[in-house]
Amino acid sequence: MPLELHEETANLVGVVTVDEVEQLVGWLRTAKRPRVALRRCNHLHTGALQALLLFRPKISSAPADAFLAAQVLPLLAGGGGPAKPGSESP
Amino acid sequence: MNPLLAQFLAEANDLLAQVDEGLLQLERDPGDPELVNEVFRAAHTFKGSSGLFDFPELTRLTHAAEDLLDAVRGGRLALDSGMTDDLLASFDLIRGWLAHVTTHERLPSGAGSDAAGLITRLRAPLGGEAAPSAPSAAGPAVLVDTAPDWLAYLDAEWLTETAGWLSTTGSTLRFLWYTPDTDCFFRAEDPLHLIRQLPALDRLSVVQPGTWPAVQEYDEYTCMLSFLVVTRASLGELNHLFRYVTDQIEIVELDADAITRHLSGEPPLRAEEVMTVAVTPVIDTEMAADARSVLHAAHRALTMDGVVTEGTRIRSVRHAVAAAARSLGVPVDLGAAGPAELLTAIDLLAGEAAPAPVAIAPVPAAPPRAEERVESRADDPGGQVGTRVLKVDQEKVDRLMELVGELNVAKNGLTFLAASAEEEFGSRALSRRIKDQYAGLHRIAEELQSAVMDVRMLPLSVAFSRFPRLVRDLSRRLGKNIELVTEGGDTMADKDVIEALGDPLVHLVRNSLDHGIETPDERSLRGKSHTARLTLTAVADGDAVIVEVSDDGRGVDPDRVKHKAYEKGLISEEELETLSDVDAVDLVFRPGFSTADQVSDLSGRGVGMDAVRASVEKLGGAVTMRSKLGQGTSTRLRLPLSMAVTQVMVVSVAGQRFGIPVDLVVETVKVPAGGMGRVLHQDVVMMRGEVVPVIDLARALDMPWSLPETADRPILVVSVNGQRVGLLVEQFHREVDVILKPMEGLLAYADEFSGTALLGDGLVLLVLNMKEVLGLAARVA
Repeated sequence: MPLELHEETANLVGVVTVDEVEQLVGWLRTAKRPRVALRRCNHLHTGALQALLLFRPKISSAPADAFLAAQVLPLLAGGGGPAKPGSESP
Repeated sequence: MNPLLAQFLAEANDLLAQVDEGLLQLERDPGDPELVNEVFRAAHTFKGSSGLFDFPELTRLTHAAEDLLDAVRGGRLALDSGMTDDLLASFDLIRGWLAHVTTHERLPSGAGSDAAGLITRLRAPLGGEAAPSAPSAAGPAVLVDTAPDWLAYLDAEWLTETAGWLSTTGSTLRFLWYTPDTDCFFRAEDPLHLIRQLPALDRLSVVQPGTWPAVQEYDEYTCMLSFLVVTRASLGELNHLFRYVTDQIEIVELDADAITRHLSGEPPLRAEEVMTVAVTPVIDTEMAADARSVLHAAHRALTMDGVVTEGTRIRSVRHAVAAAARSLGVPVDLGAAGPAELLTAIDLLAGEAAPAPVAIAPVPAAPPRAEERVESRADDPGGQVGTRVLKVDQEKVDRLMELVGELNVAKNGLTFLAASAEEEFGSRALSRRIKDQYAGLHRIAEELQSAVMDVRMLPLSVAFSRFPRLVRDLSRRLGKNIELVTEGGDTMADKDVIEALGDPLVHLVRNSLDHGIETPDERSLRGKSHTARLTLTAVADGDAVIVEVSDDGRGVDPDRVKHKAYEKGLISEEELETLSDVDAVDLVFRPGFSTADQVSDLSGRGVGMDAVRASVEKLGGAVTMRSKLGQGTSTRLRLPLSMAVTQVMVVSVAGQRFGIPVDLVVETVKVPAGGMGRVLHQDVVMMRGEVVPVIDLARALDMPWSLPETADRPILVVSVNGQRVGLLVEQFHREVDVILKPMEGLLAYADEFSGTALLGDGLVLLVLNMKEVLGLAARVA
């Protein structure tokens, strides 16, 4: 099961596919102070990434996966990412 | 070759010819909307079918051609000879590709680059699109593009560093701009996964929408992100990875100079750029059209007196023009432009958006090399597309079949001629020579007949093809899991048989789905697998084809059927007690029988099975059902391979000849007058320990005649509905092949005849419908 959802924390495990996106978004909508652990996540579907970018939950653990750690984590950590000019424009 | 592909190639040939002809006519007569429509439809069909195969270049090229034709059709664009040339070149290129596909089952390797130039040219009159800047794999010279605006999403510090490294090493980097379609998740695309597969990924920047929708309105299935990827992977690798989304990506190759130029050039538009590009990833052609209308409106506003003065008004116009310019890929600096400068800018931009493309500096233009290559390809004669298939009107084949029938009749006339040569003119030698001629003619006629029949043969997969969809839809509606298996789809049968088979098969499959197959819960209760199996099988069996519909559902309960039939008054109380299980199953074919307690909208109105039997019998076939309670049911249809020629046995009754289908004939016997018995009021004959009822055919047909008391009784034993019946006739004749024509006009009501046929001696033969004749005999008696 790629999603282990608890009240305030979520564990993303393995490959998060498009099928899990709806559930993840549902959880992000309801959780008050969401924290997401990516340590065991191998791949995030674009939809899941988009949801994380929108809801900006706190990332409680960095992914072990090299691609996610190098390219995706900086976007989620908030600020400092290369997307900055885009995300902060009016 | 995949049969679907073979069919596509055969069709493609026609479509290509249609397009070519249509385009040429259009050039002569550009205004004809019907012609444009025709060409458009052909291109559209082409695109649609090409999508079934893994030929993305083909689909893209036809798509571009279709878009252009659509604009012409809609009157937004006038077709000029340049466009016609491009269109013709495109379809010539496609013809070349398809010839390659015919032999190799794939597109030639250079297809992508050949198409790119043409696509750009086809798109140009539509206002051009940010065409995937044509990748040129050919030639060692590395193509360096100018820096696009979207480079601004990379931070300057990193760019400076990179430019330094590139200039030291004299190398280039590939920059990829990827704006996935908003609905790409529904097509099982995962942009991030695609990017992940890129080797030598240097830098990834995810561009988020300028404004996110409110959390309540956020649609998690809409892709709102764009990606900027910097990679050391080669163009070939990029093109391969992104081959299915080429309309959503833009690739540029930049060296240190280009980056430096970008860095030094002041980029005042960037902030707004984010809004237009990232928030609304619109298809470029639409964007160009929008831009045109914006420019038009701005022009009107500026030229109208007193509408635009200094201040907010002119600022908003300036803003609109700048936005339009960006969407056209021609950013202009309108810092503090007044009305006059704005008008000049608008004129310039309108030229850009108009059908005739003007190449202005920063537009990533397609390299001319690709176009030249396409040109040379288009000149090829283009080989053979598809196998040589001739499409013939069905009526012509039917006519041919009729003529073969006439030939058979004429040929049969020779035997009569031979007989009369011998009898009337006493020339045995002439008779023999006529017979020799007859033998030769007979052989040719037979071959001709089988050749024509062969033309009419279709594989049964044609009849089966509609079932995957039907089963899928119905099983979803009924909430059942059903796996459809078809076997023997390549068995051939006459076109008429296949067509006539359609309805009975649909009835049977529906019945199986509705009544036969249990719900998954019920199945697991009985220890069966969740998924039921419905099998359609076809096998050739001599002159007949056997089609079987079987399921592993609950089967027919003989007791329930018997009781139901009794309740409905279809069988007597006696029968209720004595009917065997096999006969009980057969009751479902009785008119007015339905076991379903509830009438559903699928089947169960009690018209199904008897309709099936009636229509199959009309084809000269038979239906039988076998069923094991709890294990499933299988219904078997036996149909003649061809309905065109029927073998009949000719007998005469009261001096008139009648035909009886040979399929039904069991044997012919001559019984001595004393051998006939009588049980109750029915004549019978004892044969091998079996009592066979005998019907006087002359009496049944109301033809007064009787045999001399002492003569042997010629009896033709037929089997109808599994029952043996003897027919008392006057005389047996031979078997003949006839072409049966249905009863028409005044005789159409005469059910006791299934049709008429012309014999070799010019006599019209009435062919009996045995089932009706037996019913008639029962009424007479």
